[in-house]
Amino acid sequence: MAPAVLLVTLFLLAPFVWTVHRSFFGDSRTTPFSWFDNYTLFASDPALSRSVQNTLMWVVGTVVLPFVLGLAIACMTDASRFSRLARLCVVLPYALSGSAVAVVWNFMLTTDGAVNQVLDTFGLGSLAQGWLLTWPGNTIVMILANAWQATGVAVILFLVGLQSIPPETIEAASLDGATGWQRFRHVVLPQLRPVSIIVIGMSLVNGLKSFDLIWVLTQGGPGRATETLAVSMYNETFLELRPGAGAAIAVVLTVIVLAASWVYLRRQLDVKGV
Amino acid sequence: MSASGRTSSAGVPLARRRFLATVAAGAAAVTAAGCARGASTSAQPGTTSLSNDNATWDDGYRKAGLELEKITGYSLRPLSNPSVTSYQQVVQMTLETSKASDLVKWASGYQLKRLARAGGLTDLSRVWQRYADKGWVRGASRGAVSYRGKAFGIPLYESYYVLFYSKPVFKRLGLSEPRTWDELLHCAEVLKRNKITPFLASQVGGWPAIEWFQELVSKVDPLFYQQLVAGKASYTDDPARQAMDIWQDFNRKGWMTAPDFDQARGPGALKEGTVGMFLHGTWQAAGMSAAGMEPGVDYGACILPTVRPSTPKSVIAESGVFVVPSRASSHQAAMANVGAWLDPSVQRVWSDFLQDSSANPRVRAGNPVVAGLQRDIARNRRLPLVRYWEASPPSLIQGNSSDLGGFMAGQTSPATTLRRMQERADSEWAAWKRDEA
Repeated sequence: MAPAVLLVTLFLLAPFVWTVHRSFFGDSRTTPFSWFDNYTLFASDPALSRSVQNTLMWVVGTVVLPFVLGLAIACMTDASRFSRLARLCVVLPYALSGSAVAVVWNFMLTTDGAVNQVLDTFGLGSLAQGWLLTWPGNTIVMILANAWQATGVAVILFLVGLQSIPPETIEAASLDGATGWQRFRHVVLPQLRPVSIIVIGMSLVNGLKSFDLIWVLTQGGPGRATETLAVSMYNETFLELRPGAGAAIAVVLTVIVLAASWVYLRRQLDVKGV
Repeated sequence: MSASGRTSSAGVPLARRRFLATVAAGAAAVTAAGCARGASTSAQPGTTSLSNDNATWDDGYRKAGLELEKITGYSLRPLSNPSVTSYQQVVQMTLETSKASDLVKWASGYQLKRLARAGGLTDLSRVWQRYADKGWVRGASRGAVSYRGKAFGIPLYESYYVLFYSKPVFKRLGLSEPRTWDELLHCAEVLKRNKITPFLASQVGGWPAIEWFQELVSKVDPLFYQQLVAGKASYTDDPARQAMDIWQDFNRKGWMTAPDFDQARGPGALKEGTVGMFLHGTWQAAGMSAAGMEPGVDYGACILPTVRPSTPKSVIAESGVFVVPSRASSHQAAMANVGAWLDPSVQRVWSDFLQDSSANPRVRAGNPVVAGLQRDIARNRRLPLVRYWEASPPSLIQGNSSDLGGFMAGQTSPATTLRRMQERADSEWAAWKRDEA
């Protein structure tokens, strides 16, 4: 136990405490104590307001899309003929790094990229646009790109959940005259609850800390329009050279992630009586 | 199994313990190796390590290093980190440690001032003076490498911001190199009519967004540009507004590439004839060669004409520098190499590799296009202007580059963009001056 406590203290708690401490100091050369000045940036800096908006969009997108798509794909491929191939196709992107995924999507989404070229080819040139240039479209396409990758792990988890459902329960429902939808809604879905909790919890945290895909695709631009809190934290600290502001964003982000996870898991696990 | 045939209860934990011990030992070894001084920056006899943010220059450094070795006994060992953003972080962090490289490529101007202000750099004033005595540096450039009177950088190269253009395309369309603003507009119109995007403009990577801004403001009024970057004029003043209006007009006419066009594709686009003109530093000449383009045959270059004929002629100049960390692993070797870097024999090799201007004014560029530009700058006595990226405090430039990127993507109007830039200028200049005080 002791080494684990020591490592957690050394590598997690100590940096966090230092970050909280740093967030109360200014970014001028003498780094004066500045109370909550760095935190007031959330009210005064439009780039940070946009960053909060984007983070919320990411959270919604990364929770809803992988959950819905993952569940649908898992259910549809669980017993189908080409299930293994279909599953492989969906799961494969999950094996790629976020940066690699971003490079592929960059090739597709730039103004002279593959998507616009395909649209042109099919006479739909009027739909072609700078997918990564205008807000909120650029944030939405990045969320979709992220869902393309993140759905894989949701599929795996839901498949495990589906395979752990006793077939007798479904057979019993059939004998009682339940339709396919009713069997799914009242028999399968409730039994997938533990897996769903994990999928949603993971997606929630991933959405809040999304960074790599955004950084490679747009670096938070153009004009800081696609920043999330994680990107803003990096931008303020390392590019704008304001470590105090960056620390304040890091603290706020950490509090949000911890609070969201705690509230969500406590509520879900309490219901199950765990 | 024991000799008696019973399963030993101690056997399994022992094996597990041994396994865990092996894993722990392996992890400790990996950690120790990771924490040890990296072989890359440790002192190696006969060489000086060189941190560099442009991997395509590694070969040039090695070639120049062979010439340096003849003079100092030390060659160059480039260590590249091609991401400018992460490069800057790594350099700033390693300057505080004993793992600093012997030589570090850095930007001049305020980027260098900020690094020097944080401490950790060697005063190179004596080296500079020796170069000045020999006439191997341009006297005017000392200000761009100095902080509080001391020189902390030795010029690495001298580049100019110019319009590269495709000679075959211009020839096919009956165009000639634009020498006046009207000729430039005519070229753009003809190119556009022939389904060729006249100008490359990009904000990919952040900093390229400054290129058209600095160029247009300086070609509207170079003296205003000097005042603006020094914090003595406002971004909302008329010349800046005029420059932004021109830029917006070019955008509306479809004369610019999309803002997400990657500059790295510039030489290829020029060669293919999909883009007519590419505004960039003359250091891009090496990229043109890499794309198989011959200077003077496949591409030419000129300096953007002034908006009005009566406007003083100017050129945006960029000079990277070598700095020597005071805690460099091989400090003596590093000092020897910066002391010989501008030697004409070294610069001949370096300039030929880079196909760009040498920082030593006595070394003529080997690339005929760049040599022609050097003659043009001298003949017209063009006012050298510090590139925007280095001309004001870094936090101001970084924020303003983001704003310009937003403008390029059509998020903000010229007036809004300039207002935001001025608001940032007010606060960042105040912060800079406060820190200096």
